Amino acid sequence: MQRLAVTCLALIIVLTGSVSMFHAVQAKPLNIPVVYYKLPNGLKVVISEDHSAPVVTVGVYYNVGFRLEPKGRTGFAHLFEHMMFQGSANVKKFEHAKYVEANGGSLNGHTDFDYTNYFETMPSNRVELGLWLESDRMRSLDISEENLKNQQAVVSEEVRVNVLNQPYQFFEWISLWGNAFTNWNNSHNGYGDLAEINAATIDDVRSFFKTYYAPNNAVLTVVGDVDVNEVKKMVEKHFASIPSQPMPARADLTEPPQTKEKRVSQTDKLANLPALAVGYHIPPQNSPDFPAMALLVQILQGDDSSRWYQRLVKEKELTLDLSGGLNYFGNEFDYTGPMIMTTRTTYKPGHTADEILREMDAVVADIVAKGVTEKELADAKVRYRSNFYSQVESSFGKTHLLSALALFRDDPQQINSLLTPFENVTAAQIKSAAAKYLVATNRTAIDRVPEAKPQPKTGH
Amino acid sequence: MKSLLIALALVITTTPALAQQKTPPPPGPARPLNLPKITEKKLANGLTVVLAPLPNVPKIAALLTFRSATTATDRDAHPGIAQIAASVANEGTEMRTSKQLKEELRSIGGSLGLGSDADSTTMNASSLSEFSSRLFDLMSDVAQHPSFPETEVKLAQENTIQQIRAGRADPGFLVNERFQKAVFGNHPYGFVVPDEKSISALTPADLRTFVTKYYIPNASHLVVVGDIDVDKTFAEIEKAFGGWKSGTVPPDDNPPVPKRDKRQIYFVNRPGSIQSAIYIGNVSIPRKDKDYFAIRTANTIYGGSFYSRLTRNIREAKGYTYSPFSSANTQAKTGSFLAGAFVRNEVTGPTLLEILYELDRMRVLPVTDEELSAAKEFSTGNFSVELASQQGLAGRINTVYTYDLDKNFINDFRPKIEALSTADIQRAAAKYFDTYRAAIVIVGDWDKVKDQVEPFGEVTIFDSEGNVVKS
Repeated sequence: MQRLAVTCLALIIVLTGSVSMFHAVQAKPLNIPVVYYKLPNGLKVVISEDHSAPVVTVGVYYNVGFRLEPKGRTGFAHLFEHMMFQGSANVKKFEHAKYVEANGGSLNGHTDFDYTNYFETMPSNRVELGLWLESDRMRSLDISEENLKNQQAVVSEEVRVNVLNQPYQFFEWISLWGNAFTNWNNSHNGYGDLAEINAATIDDVRSFFKTYYAPNNAVLTVVGDVDVNEVKKMVEKHFASIPSQPMPARADLTEPPQTKEKRVSQTDKLANLPALAVGYHIPPQNSPDFPAMALLVQILQGDDSSRWYQRLVKEKELTLDLSGGLNYFGNEFDYTGPMIMTTRTTYKPGHTADEILREMDAVVADIVAKGVTEKELADAKVRYRSNFYSQVESSFGKTHLLSALALFRDDPQQINSLLTPFENVTAAQIKSAAAKYLVATNRTAIDRVPEAKPQPKTGH
Repeated sequence: MKSLLIALALVITTTPALAQQKTPPPPGPARPLNLPKITEKKLANGLTVVLAPLPNVPKIAALLTFRSATTATDRDAHPGIAQIAASVANEGTEMRTSKQLKEELRSIGGSLGLGSDADSTTMNASSLSEFSSRLFDLMSDVAQHPSFPETEVKLAQENTIQQIRAGRADPGFLVNERFQKAVFGNHPYGFVVPDEKSISALTPADLRTFVTKYYIPNASHLVVVGDIDVDKTFAEIEKAFGGWKSGTVPPDDNPPVPKRDKRQIYFVNRPGSIQSAIYIGNVSIPRKDKDYFAIRTANTIYGGSFYSRLTRNIREAKGYTYSPFSSANTQAKTGSFLAGAFVRNEVTGPTLLEILYELDRMRVLPVTDEELSAAKEFSTGNFSVELASQQGLAGRINTVYTYDLDKNFINDFRPKIEALSTADIQRAAAKYFDTYRAAIVIVGDWDKVKDQVEPFGEVTIFDSEGNVVKS
């Protein structure tokens, strides 16, 4: 049975009261086996054996997310994701789902800032079925007018149910990104405007497929109870003859630095309580400040012991909840473009966004002045490690991280040393990250309050 | 670079063995299942302890279920007390403040929360496995000595009231609340959230009394799954929970489960709504009922999987909705079967028609052999995926003890699913997919959709607070 190497942590099983023990506990490296290579057509392939359960995940990650969708076609990358379930040369409309489920599996797809993924988790003796299904749609997606119309209707309902008919309307993503960023690729609404979703044509679909859904713009990842050599043969058989495509120049995602605070007020027709969303631009992943920033996010809002939660929800009793993180949809590794750390909170009537921002600033000022304690930092690292293990527990979780590392860093082996930069962060680095990034001029805040409405008539 | 790629592509396309395969590859030989080894033990105070090693990551998942602390417990004197007790129990004990508790959890990479439903209150906890004994100490402290500090209780009361107000803006909350009330009436299973007056009336003393009486080891079980050594873990558990005093198990005072005798529409008016949120369903069966496997599988075929009849019809063929679904919920005393969809106002009537049609089709005609065999594979395959995660396995074992199921449930799952026939599915559908006595619950804009709704039956209209506006 494969298991992740457990750290030898006898030395910190000294429990409470021994603060001096809480420093720089290094976890032993993970030991996830990774085989990584590229087919001649450019397809990146990652295979990781895991014999702990008779299951396998097959994932294909394409290096295109909604940041790269065409102007005038907001929501198109996601609409396209739906089209990938509408049939291919040898798989009829929606039969992808039939094959996977009738073979004991589950499946899904997801469109993100910088990638779109498709995956199925199945009993591991069905691995070749997953490969065949993914290869068929990568090679020969079948695109028809009728199916496009159908999925435009389905996606419109998705936007209605998750955005338009909901209080707050996802403002901590759609509005916050729309205001914090100035480059259209970063700022536009990735769920999409209904009119633009419905304006998409069959030529848009064909051209997007040809441009981005090529083997040389994708990674194929297989994780589970399989034999690497057998999987290699199957991958060769099903994917090697899919032709590569010339890649267009990537859109410029760079974002000019923000120089002054942005404040926005909105009213909400459906909400009963006010809410606040806050975003700070964060350093890029290759910045030396990045690991400290990630742990700072943990310390400020990672759980209900965190500083902002304690201050806003418990001590000052201003807000009901606190959520958010470093990457609104994912983690530290599964994006490439500019990013904001987001915070969302529903607050109590009678209070104001200014009060909340003042308290958030006071917490930051305290860190900038006094730093965080060694124990707080050690705890943040333990929490970070624990969350990381949960991310890689399932075959899908490992597929996701390996794919992101292959897609964006060309190095999935990094999964086994991913924690190291975070384990090495010092209290001084946390303090300096707070001073550098958590300043008002780097911030966008959206205050969203219920629209005044007449009292509902009741009881007759 | 470009010319190199083209050259390689040419080489490849000349190899005929690599042509696109037209038919799905057959499965390989089945891999061994490795069902988990489950050990059950009992402490002297009556606490049942169930342990299952699953060392896929160096963590553990622990579920501690108090079977006599349900949303029905003390419901007349203190409506909502089980929920408030659950939400405040981890906000301070006789030994630790709320903040100390959260900080200790953080230092072991842990989490600990409680929730209550109509059958039990469950503490759901996890940590790095190297800190298991510390997690058990925290769980034991919260189970035995929650102190319900005045300030924490007051804050939870205020925040719960606000959260329920916020929820009343959400169609998902409203449709679920009205559905539970429609199907279970005044039975405790119809309880969703307490009213504001009941929440405000609770005192710390009420909560302490409740917990002392109902968080008792002899009506509880602790399930621990993960990177554990059974003997060492059991010793840690015995040390942490051994001193917990047993109590008197209260009698089950749940009233008989109601039966619906006619179809009725319950419409929650939400002016300005651009969609109708629809739930259609009825009372079904308790978890232990012999029809469990049949209704579960009928549900898979009807709307419980992606390639289900309902999804193929109202999503893939008609484009009415994004995520139609159905679920067969079974609990200790009874359950409910329900089908649901969120659809734009214009197709509210057509959606009701199709949901009802597909329900009737399941009752009137047998499913095909192909549908049944796909549903069996779907259930057994996804069951093994569920058992491969610490939370999944712990949750599955927990249901065995919460609902007093056969201890072989996990091992028997596959043979029981495989034994089902198309006649079993039709019989279960005929009994439980009863459209003639269904509750039809809709949250939407009455003025916009009333003409589409009225042909389906008698309508009672509610506002979002739950008041009857028109009947």
